[in-house]
Amino acid sequence: MSEQGITRRNFMIRAMVSIFAFIGAALAVPLGGFSIFPALTRRESGWSDAGTARDLAVNVPQERRFFEVVKKGWREEKVERAAWFVKQASGAVVVFSPSCPHLGCGYRWMAAQQRFECPCHASVFDINGKVISGPAPRALDVMESRLDNGRVLVKFEVFQLGTPKKALAWRRRHAETGA
Amino acid sequence: MPKRVLDWLDERIEVRKLWQTMTDRPIPGGSSWFYVLGSSLLFVFALQMATGILLTLYYAPVPDHAYQSVKYIQEEALFGSFVRGLHHWGATFMVVLVSLHMLRVFVFGAYKKPREIVWLVGVGLFLVVFGFAFTGYLLPWDQKAYWATVVGTNVAGTVPVVGGLLLRIIRGGAELGDFALSRFFAIHTYILPWSLALLAGLHVFLLERAGAGGRWNAAERTPYRSEPLFPHQIFKDSLFILMLFLALSAFAYLFPAPLEPQADPTDSSYNPRPEWYFYAVFQMLRIFEGPLELIGTVILPTVVIMLLLLVPFIDRRPERSPRRRKAMMAAAALAVAGVTVLTIAGARAPIVGVPAVTEESALAGRQVYARSGCAACHSIHGKGGTIGPDLTRVGARKDRAWLDKFLADPQAVKPGVLMPKPDVTAAERRELVDYLLTLK
Repeated sequence: MSEQGITRRNFMIRAMVSIFAFIGAALAVPLGGFSIFPALTRRESGWSDAGTARDLAVNVPQERRFFEVVKKGWREEKVERAAWFVKQASGAVVVFSPSCPHLGCGYRWMAAQQRFECPCHASVFDINGKVISGPAPRALDVMESRLDNGRVLVKFEVFQLGTPKKALAWRRRHAETGA
Repeated sequence: MPKRVLDWLDERIEVRKLWQTMTDRPIPGGSSWFYVLGSSLLFVFALQMATGILLTLYYAPVPDHAYQSVKYIQEEALFGSFVRGLHHWGATFMVVLVSLHMLRVFVFGAYKKPREIVWLVGVGLFLVVFGFAFTGYLLPWDQKAYWATVVGTNVAGTVPVVGGLLLRIIRGGAELGDFALSRFFAIHTYILPWSLALLAGLHVFLLERAGAGGRWNAAERTPYRSEPLFPHQIFKDSLFILMLFLALSAFAYLFPAPLEPQADPTDSSYNPRPEWYFYAVFQMLRIFEGPLELIGTVILPTVVIMLLLLVPFIDRRPERSPRRRKAMMAAAALAVAGVTVLTIAGARAPIVGVPAVTEESALAGRQVYARSGCAACHSIHGKGGTIGPDLTRVGARKDRAWLDKFLADPQAVKPGVLMPKPDVTAAERRELVDYLLTLK
């Protein structure tokens, strides 16, 4: 092959590599964005009605189920949720996320021992959610709640698990900006 | 670094030798822009696989959710309209490219010995591409999807003796419902992609074994009598693929894939039309009516497929020059002209029957009508109850003001009337009135 032939060949190889690199890069953004956008979407939990406060006894944790209206893609659905409710002496109600902050198992209240125990890896929490023993990296997660006309309203949220710091599992939408 | 990886692989599995074998394939007569169609089909198919797989991330293949999920992809998902657009226009590109590819091979006489099997597999690939096209457009479950598939599957029902059974097998029941959608989804996303991938692999492998046909007059051409596939041909392929990609992206961006209102099996005012590449078949169904219908639905398609399969065995002379194959060229010209004329005629087929509701608000009103259970008491074109007045020509009897007032509060307009107050918002009431006014 002549020297000119080799140059021509090299040019073509480079052009081909560039063409497919360009197509790959041009597709990466839309196809990648389309694949992962749910992870980037912000959401805001609304208030869910979790029953009356009157039926809760002071310092007797109770697990309650309630419904949250959740927008899932193209549909709105009533999703059943659960949480632990602890009425304080002041009358306020503390609401704990139902997932153990270690790896997400459902923990329960042991009335005899007066403590929460997780059945998976034996994390133990006191009535205020503080870790007594076990692998849990942080206290039970408290969810935002308020009393309205004798009813307990909860903002149900899901938290990242296994980390020492409490953080939401999704990106929260800022109510004011809507961004 | 890449060189070291290549060396490592080469030492073990001789990748350079593999590359050599694949790219040193001689093309008699040299590279040509005529040969870019096959490789560009591979590219568009790969793109269809990528976008198709991504669409299934959000698509729900059940009638209850299919339409809403496609609407979500189209209107809310990030880059959703673009990804769906690529898939939609990619299908059209596949159909066009596979047809041109077949025509090119036919004209060049490339199906002749020793490439007869390559052609046979190619005919299989051609059918698979149309199978994709047909099963794909039911999936959005919009009006076009539903009605075009009702008609398309009914074609199978006209087959003598076994037609009814065939129809029920294709639809998974007598009617087009959940099972039909699941079936079409399974065929479109599992069966056909594997078929196409395997057949395309076989197609390329067989061509590799038999050798490329190249020019019929390669021996006479100067200066090149033969040229390896790489780099000149693959360079041309790459440039053409780049052009295709830019065109496809432009289509996807500028002309979003259409989505009509949700499928409505009770809608008698809809004028079903297939995708443009089925216009020719559609037109044949209009030409052969009554006792002749079988010609258009079963006989002609079977004959066409048989003829395609038999091409290399009918024309067995070694002569490949189109000039000296006048009868074959005439047949090709006739086929192209026939398909073109039928396609144009199909596209121009007049909209018939009940005046179609096309205005968006009236279409929404139709859905309000269906949703609110109006048909429990009222009839339109003979469908519905008889307790309330027939509404077939209500648009000619009443005006907008009266209808709006009456629907807002029937008792206020006609005290004692049986008509309950419709449970609709003001906006829905306006849509409902828009719809009723089209009934004349």
